[in-house]
Amino acid sequence: MNPNDSDASRFKSATTDRRGERDLDLLLVHVARGDTEAFEAVYDRLAGPVYGVIRRVLRDPSQSEEVTQEVLLEVWRTAARFDPAVGGAATWVMTIAHRRAIDRVRSTTAAADRERKTAEFHVPHDEVAEAVEASLDAERVRRCLDGLTDVQRESITLAYYGGHSYREVSDLLKVTLGAIKTRIRDGLIRMRDCLGVS
Amino acid sequence: MRLLRHDLHSLSGAYALDALEPGAERDRFTRHLSRCQSCASEVRGFREVATAMAFATAAEPSAGLRDRVLAAAARTRQVPPEVRTHARPRRTRTWTPWVPWLSGVVATASIVAAVLFGFAQAHTQDELNQVRAENQAISLILSAPKAKLLTYPVTHGGMATVVLAADRHELAVVTTGLPALPAGKVYQLWLIGKPTITSAGLLPPAKDGQTPAVLATGVVKGDALGLTVEPAGGSAQPTTKPILALPLPV
Repeated sequence: MNPNDSDASRFKSATTDRRGERDLDLLLVHVARGDTEAFEAVYDRLAGPVYGVIRRVLRDPSQSEEVTQEVLLEVWRTAARFDPAVGGAATWVMTIAHRRAIDRVRSTTAAADRERKTAEFHVPHDEVAEAVEASLDAERVRRCLDGLTDVQRESITLAYYGGHSYREVSDLLKVTLGAIKTRIRDGLIRMRDCLGVS
Repeated sequence: MRLLRHDLHSLSGAYALDALEPGAERDRFTRHLSRCQSCASEVRGFREVATAMAFATAAEPSAGLRDRVLAAAARTRQVPPEVRTHARPRRTRTWTPWVPWLSGVVATASIVAAVLFGFAQAHTQDELNQVRAENQAISLILSAPKAKLLTYPVTHGGMATVVLAADRHELAVVTTGLPALPAGKVYQLWLIGKPTITSAGLLPPAKDGQTPAVLATGVVKGDALGLTVEPAGGSAQPTTKPILALPLPV
């Protein structure tokens, strides 16, 4: 009832919930109102995966922190645009994070670097294993990735973790464009069912 | 090059992983997405998969980053709550769900009238699209299962009618019979919460004593809807005493 007493307990429950998607949604609504405490809670929940995925794509830690900062500031700035009807808060933030990383990769300064990394490319499966730690999320994702065909798994990890366009993936794997398109989609459908997302 | 519909559809996976390069192909898929509800929901599901993949590769940034981000946020102005104009999943006939809910709620007629008034006022396609987007948002509020109707007198005359969809954190408000303001003054709405007061937009000029519906998003527990008189263009924070402070049962 008292508007003042709800905050502390709300933030506590937000951090203790297992996935806590709904609470994260609510936190973002508060962030949109300029609530810095809510923003700190969002930072604590999401900075890890945001930084993790950006570093995966960009490789360079200091550049990755720079982009992480940009992403989290964008979350602060545009929280009013977050619409819970369209998807969860974590997904909204991760979509921004991945897109920013990709933008950076495709920018001209990163292009040369990119070429080199593409040339160095060897075995995507090792790369997955390397970063996936013993967390629950990681375990589930790894198990689901293992359930894919090789081409499905490699195209999805090259695209998402490697930050490659599907054209690049097609070149790297020497598989036609049309086939890569379909493999990515089929693989994601399997992942979706395996992870139990709607 | 023309793409068959099936080919276009199969781009959903690459799109969700940001693996479409900028250009004609991505533009075409983006356009397709706004018309294809099943594609949009497929992309949503794939993005959740991607989110799980991001969590699976979480890593600890350096300790200084938190302070830098919080300090930068303190210096960064936020975009205000706004009317959302993107396509939402919606019913085939947006208007139908209103009817049973509205019957018997006479006061809401003013909101319906305001909505219709908006359509009548639109002259260009852009204006019409804008009105449509707003009405879609309003109709979502009106058809929210737990929507509440509140009416409240305004100090110095007039009434405010509010439809509050607490679970969506949104409300729509119309006013009737507010006194006309001298030139250079406007009515401004506020979400008055603790510790923050946020502008919820300016009241558009009244027509026949009634203002078109205004939407406010980001309503949270403890908020009251406020109304003040402000200099033209509005203020960042209220500068006069509220003539309405309607507690919102969120």
